[in-house]
Amino acid sequence: MIRTRIARLALTALIAGMMVTGACAAEDLTLAGMVRDPLPSVGTVSLPDASQGGTEFATIAEEGHILVLYFGYTNCPDVCPTTMADLRRAVATLGDDATKIDVAMVSVDPARDDGERLTAYIQSFFSDGHSLRTDDPARLEEAAFAFGAAYEVTETEDGNIDVAHSAFLYAIDPAGYIQVQWPFGMTSEDIASDLEQLLRRLT
Amino acid sequence: MKRLVGQALVLVLIAGCAQAGDVQVDDVWARTSASMQDAGAVYMTISGGDEADSLIGVRVGSDVAARAEMHESMMMEGDDEGGMMQMHAVESILVEANAETKLEPGGYHVMLQQLAEPLVDGAEFTLTLTFQNAGDIDVTVEVREG
Repeated sequence: MIRTRIARLALTALIAGMMVTGACAAEDLTLAGMVRDPLPSVGTVSLPDASQGGTEFATIAEEGHILVLYFGYTNCPDVCPTTMADLRRAVATLGDDATKIDVAMVSVDPARDDGERLTAYIQSFFSDGHSLRTDDPARLEEAAFAFGAAYEVTETEDGNIDVAHSAFLYAIDPAGYIQVQWPFGMTSEDIASDLEQLLRRLT
Repeated sequence: MKRLVGQALVLVLIAGCAQAGDVQVDDVWARTSASMQDAGAVYMTISGGDEADSLIGVRVGSDVAARAEMHESMMMEGDDEGGMMQMHAVESILVEANAETKLEPGGYHVMLQQLAEPLVDGAEFTLTLTFQNAGDIDVTVEVREG
């Protein structure tokens, strides 16, 4: 199989291309992330929240808040924690508005990520982070489909588990729309600037 | 006596010079890990010597992790816009002569598997890198929030 290594430059070019699209889709905002047209609606999606004893968590932001959601897995040493650390840095620059950003992580590897492990993982980055997981593959698929996210868990010949997954952070508004999504490698400055703009528009 | 010291100093300097054309490893760090997190990653900058070399092995003490492997994260081919990323183990990492090879987020990294205990901010541990030509080099890994 031919694979390409992430070249930051190529990614930057790709993002620059997406920025143009983003600027067109929402006239009053200059978002660095990717804006889809039409905006995907995910407000009716819900998954059990292990950080809240397994109660259903709807993927929609509270009034005046933005919910940032990520599909990942805890045995991911590189891409997932890098993304979470970038998001944490971005949120930290928002001052008082930081409390208006809620974060949730959906495990694409629920067989290995039990609720406790997933909660510890997300809450090591965000103390109020939500850990979403289900043992029902159909429910996970359905949720991922709504976001346009993909994942693949395969076992290699030597018994290793390989996980591939969409590495976007999705920013959801109180109406349940994904307003913007950030690919891996987006800088925390760009994420912060997008969050600020989205929050400003809500008030 | 003075002369002896002088000679010793010259020897040290020569030894120092002999290193100049060799592989050098800097800025070695690992991100902090959550409790119960199994895997960790180590990043670094490798400066190539006068001749190309390859990083062919990595290991850490069992007090850090059960295993260390070289891995690479990448975007899946044909899915640039889908943003689908995957990671796989690599046998070696080429270190080009007189150039920097970076192990950094989203690319090559040393994956630590089955961490013995969480990596906490400010901690340090030793990682042994095996190069095809330069042999073993021990480096100190600094744990940071990143």
